[in-house]
Amino acid sequence: LHSIYLCPIDPLQHADEFSGVTLGGAAGSSLDSAVLKLGLLYAQGVIRGGNARCRAMLLVYCQLIEEYDPPASVIGDLRPHLDSNLLKPAFQYWTEHCRPHSVSMGNAFTFLKSAVASLERNISLGELKEVLQETIEAYIRERMEFADKAIAGHVSCKIVNGDVLLVYGHSEVILKVLLQQKELNKQFRVICVDSRPLLEGRKTLLALREACIPCTYILLNCISYVMKDVTKVLLGASALMTDGSLLGRVGTACVALTAQRKSVLVCCETYKISNRVQLESITGNELGDPNLVYEGKQESLRMLNLLYDLTPSNYISGIVTEMGIVPPTSVAVLLREMNPNEII
Amino acid sequence: QRGERFADISLAARDRIARVGADFVQDGHVILVHGWSRVVASLLTLASQTKHISVICLEGRPDAAGIKAAKFYDNNGIPTKVVLDSAMGFIMESVDMVLVGAEGVVENGGIVNKLGTYGLAICAKEHGVPFYVAAESYKFARLYPLHQQDLPPMGGLPRIDFVDTACWQATGRKGNDTDGGIPGRVELSTRVEINNPACDFTPAKFITLLFTDLGVLTTSAVSDELIRLYQ
Repeated sequence: LHSIYLCPIDPLQHADEFSGVTLGGAAGSSLDSAVLKLGLLYAQGVIRGGNARCRAMLLVYCQLIEEYDPPASVIGDLRPHLDSNLLKPAFQYWTEHCRPHSVSMGNAFTFLKSAVASLERNISLGELKEVLQETIEAYIRERMEFADKAIAGHVSCKIVNGDVLLVYGHSEVILKVLLQQKELNKQFRVICVDSRPLLEGRKTLLALREACIPCTYILLNCISYVMKDVTKVLLGASALMTDGSLLGRVGTACVALTAQRKSVLVCCETYKISNRVQLESITGNELGDPNLVYEGKQESLRMLNLLYDLTPSNYISGIVTEMGIVPPTSVAVLLREMNPNEII
Repeated sequence: QRGERFADISLAARDRIARVGADFVQDGHVILVHGWSRVVASLLTLASQTKHISVICLEGRPDAAGIKAAKFYDNNGIPTKVVLDSAMGFIMESVDMVLVGAEGVVENGGIVNKLGTYGLAICAKEHGVPFYVAAESYKFARLYPLHQQDLPPMGGLPRIDFVDTACWQATGRKGNDTDGGIPGRVELSTRVEINNPACDFTPAKFITLLFTDLGVLTTSAVSDELIRLYQ
């Protein structure tokens, strides 16, 4: 098992990784308590999902920038100090000591760094705080909230009365789409597919039941049984690769494969588009707590709990972004259009 | 005035398409066409000026547009054959390429065209026959159909009348009638539903290339152009 995986993380390492995270320690001694607190929430899996993690990170940065108080020795250009003493240490701490960052977090951090770099050289402290906070809030508003609304609008014309929609796990934007359809009084029912060990689909199920949407709840192994009744599949995304393949919660690829002859729509905001291409699921994947797979020690048996998988673009009918519905082959075009300033 | 300008643009587009597409037609090729398209016609007449080609037209019921196309190609000196729509599978092994026009080109690179194009495309793919579409760029539409029923409503077409070649078992009459009825007309009770859509949707995966006035495009390039046009 050990030799076939190209995982950059040594599978044996996970044994130590999940012995629990303690606040602070040597790495965290110089960091703000808000950073440590968020790190703990990441490590314990309290905050999950691309949007949630990114939003939490940006709000903590907002707070840190508000409280930013450079020492008197820093004069003139505040930007390098801000970068090396506020932005970088926090991000490094979260990524290395708590949980590897998601693509959404990475893109948002890159955006934040370029926002800092594009500030005036001799900007005053007060103005720096104001501009940066406004930029961060605009990013959250435009690229997450407005994007989700736009996505819901675009998907709306594709969902008709009598539809049987299949959703997998938990996705913020998919939930928003479904709740909006219910508000428009469309007649449809939802099949929620869930999988161990995280069982995130229960969050979706509860929210849908509260809105009185007829639901069916199944685990992933039952999917081929229900697939013949399904009319459309709606999937959320952790990230989109430039070749149009989808990086999502492990199990998404299975759903897309089983739904080959049905319409598979992926709802994803453009800020989650990565400029990488991944060829298969194992490289760069993240390991979860092996004890969740199976408790108990066995001599030569290693538990592997992968968190993400890659769905090839030919299984996806269309990708719904705030720019409209595009074919998977056009993801690279979107990346180019949405980030004209960035040199890829 | 704008109408005239549009007509001029349309003609210029057609010429450009004919020039880029004619290179794909090789000497001795048998080309299968469906429906009547002026773009396709100008492409094939241009190709026939320098190469020996022959054309097979599908009849194109219920409006028999293929007959109109056959008359045109014949008048322009191209050897033409006409087959029934149902012969598309039968004839496919003798065909070197399929060329159709389009009423609309949609965002995912698929096309909306005369009924029968979808079946023809599937048949061509199965036989490894390249399926080309000739369409002007003003036909690109911001639609994203997921399946046949996902097309916008196109207005009802009249109930089909099956004329002259219908067998007597369908008409219920033998020989020539003198009761004033049109020979071959079929009378069906209104309980029998007749579905006669004008167009169908051909997904991008069945289309090899599109010949447009923007050049020769792959199906993925259509979305690229549309994003740029509507940005």
